[in-house]
Amino acid sequence: MKSTVPADQVDQVDADQEIIARVLTGDRDAFSLLIHRYADPLFRHALGMTGSPDVAEDILQMSFIKAYSHLAEVRGRFDAWVFRIVANGCKDWLKNIRRTHLSYDEDDQPTGYANPEEELDLTELRSDLDSALLTLPVSLREAFIMKHVEGRSYEEMADLLSTTVGALKMRVHRAREALQALLEEKYA
Amino acid sequence: MKLDDMYEPNRRGEAAREGGKQPGEGSAPLADREVPLPPVATLDHIHRWLDGETPEPTGLRGDQARSLEFWRRMDEETERRRRVVTPPYVAARIMASLPETSFMTAIAPWWKKDVHLSPATIVALAIGAFSLGLLAMRLVTG
Repeated sequence: MKSTVPADQVDQVDADQEIIARVLTGDRDAFSLLIHRYADPLFRHALGMTGSPDVAEDILQMSFIKAYSHLAEVRGRFDAWVFRIVANGCKDWLKNIRRTHLSYDEDDQPTGYANPEEELDLTELRSDLDSALLTLPVSLREAFIMKHVEGRSYEEMADLLSTTVGALKMRVHRAREALQALLEEKYA
Repeated sequence: MKLDDMYEPNRRGEAAREGGKQPGEGSAPLADREVPLPPVATLDHIHRWLDGETPEPTGLRGDQARSLEFWRRMDEETERRRRVVTPPYVAARIMASLPETSFMTAIAPWWKKDVHLSPATIVALAIGAFSLGLLAMRLVTG
């Protein structure tokens, strides 16, 4: 199969390799460049998977520390490698922790709604969507979050999760159907 | 079914093969004839719209319209989540908690790395070397 990697992605990979080489030769501060480059999408992934900003921060921190400690072992794309560390961190957390209800901590989220009623509606929607997401099997939730919250393409998702586009489409479709069944009555 | 109508389907088939008109065709009122329906958006269309493969479906009614409205609302919420960024203090916290790792050791070839032996290992190695020495002496002296 012919692999076509976009030019900007090749540049990004090269830039990452350059930063990694700097860190490995003792420039510890260069690691912050990698954190700034990849923290946001990884944080969104952890937040979507766990539903808790505090937990997402902890998973992000542990993942970057792990990545730093094993930086000499990176082969290929750093972003894909560190994504797998975060994704596994989320799955481990979900395996170990059983929580009955999770929602965003309102203090952590910026608000800019026109009026209190609208804010109340959106806060409720946010909380309901979180609760509904948490009822989904992990693989469906992961696919939905990557597609809709992280805005990734199916090809990118397939690359990161080492699976096929068809399988991921199926997971996303099933996740949508499950969410719709849970929430449609209230929000349609 | 009347006996006269028994072979009606076959006769229709023969007429069609011969390129003739179907019985009743052209004579039925226009309103009764089958006409192809305009494409109706199904749930599959909504999935394809959500996947970014097609534009937003239009002209929906009933359940389909409700589904579309539902996903518009969900899309607003997921769009908002897509703008969430890492709290600014997190990067500094990560940098402050990085371990003191010497990568020069990690990336050096094995023969250049420091060797750390426990006392038990040293004793075992000494016994092994002594035994080998004894064996060698026996072989030499016959």
